Amino acid sequence: MSLTSLEKFYKPTNSSELVSLLNDYEDSALILAGGSFIHGLAARDLLWGVQALIDIRGMGLTGVSEDSANYQIGATTRLIDLARTSLFNTNPAFAAIADALTYPPKQILNVATIGGNIATACPFFDLPTALLALEADLQIEGTNGARDISLREFALSPFENVLGSNEFLSRIMVPKTNANKASAFLKLETNANDLALVNVAASLSLDSRGNCCNVRIALGGGVAGTPVRALAAEQLMENQSPSEELFKEAGELVLGDIDPISDHRASAAYRSAMAKVFTTRSLQRSYQRVLKVQGNSI
Amino acid sequence: MKQLITLKVNNDQYEIAANPWETLLSVLRDQLGLNSPKRGCDAGGCGCCTVHIDGGAVYSCMMFAHSAQDCEITTVEGISKGKSLHPLQEAFIDKGAVQCGYCTSGILMSAKQYIDEGGGSEEKQIRQSLSGNLCRCTGYQKIVDAVKSVAENKIA
Repeated sequence: MSLTSLEKFYKPTNSSELVSLLNDYEDSALILAGGSFIHGLAARDLLWGVQALIDIRGMGLTGVSEDSANYQIGATTRLIDLARTSLFNTNPAFAAIADALTYPPKQILNVATIGGNIATACPFFDLPTALLALEADLQIEGTNGARDISLREFALSPFENVLGSNEFLSRIMVPKTNANKASAFLKLETNANDLALVNVAASLSLDSRGNCCNVRIALGGGVAGTPVRALAAEQLMENQSPSEELFKEAGELVLGDIDPISDHRASAAYRSAMAKVFTTRSLQRSYQRVLKVQGNSI
Repeated sequence: MKQLITLKVNNDQYEIAANPWETLLSVLRDQLGLNSPKRGCDAGGCGCCTVHIDGGAVYSCMMFAHSAQDCEITTVEGISKGKSLHPLQEAFIDKGAVQCGYCTSGILMSAKQYIDEGGGSEEKQIRQSLSGNLCRCTGYQKIVDAVKSVAENKIA
């Protein structure tokens, strides 16, 4: 592993210890949680100059709690613990999260954390796409206390995020929602241990007339430098009667909001073609789940 | 700079000096002489290095040794009792699930979590539970058969 400048390994037990370490090392410290993408970072030459590894899993940032508006997830909550959280695997509104957790092998689920998954700002990861469709917010802590930002503002470009050198991601907030809502996530991959070629999450509600509302569509997996929302497709569907044609038209429209990369996994053209298909399918799946919530037959 | 750490592996305590970049896999193999976890891709893709941390399967090539402190680490050396093999090991022999053997200890540890958690005998579930491990010899069927026979017998 290309950690040639590494000098020390730290395990802080609280925020002030961590912030003090971050201040000491400035840009040369790497915050570590599950570590399941460490080889990915090494392969991309992103570990250059790291002098200190700081394992933050002993800081108590784990578990799911709630306040009046949000479910709050500690940054070092492992994916396996999210997968076992009944809220996420029984409530159709949050099904996109449960869907995203069906793809990785257990060796990843057992160590990877939600905070690491987001803070890495890897354009191919799955949970950020799912959480984008659920309009998650993030709590960031640092020398000057805590601040909240939208997940949409967090990733700037591949492996770059808004965190200052003395800041860290402490909590993920998923807004509570009305009962009449469902979401879904789909990933196109070559095998269980591969990054996404394309991933899509959708979330929608039906109003009293049965029309689509609160439609949210997010795409990732290299369809752009960061996961993106498909705003044009969302607007198209708002207040429209759900139909196969509408879901297909929304799939076509996502192309305006993405700018896929070409790499060894897939060409930009293939990613575009699959982004359309997977958008349509994730909308279909969300819609079927909403109908189920309402007790209607499909 | 090496720092002293304590690791608990197969119920034995070891105090060792490890550089901050050393993986659990390197320490298990090169310092503790526990060679069941294999170095395959060394990049979290093949599963040969799978060990248990607190009862859950993890890639030991992707965990820093320092991160594994205060955990219960289990390797294949720790699942048999003396000369008495674990039922999964017996089943792998009975079903011919071992060819070159390089993936075997990693697959045993993945399968062990599945069996420990009460996994059933449905082939699809067994295959899903082994999705983090690659085998280039067997075509998987005999491995799946071996795990299935243990799940059916509810021993382990």
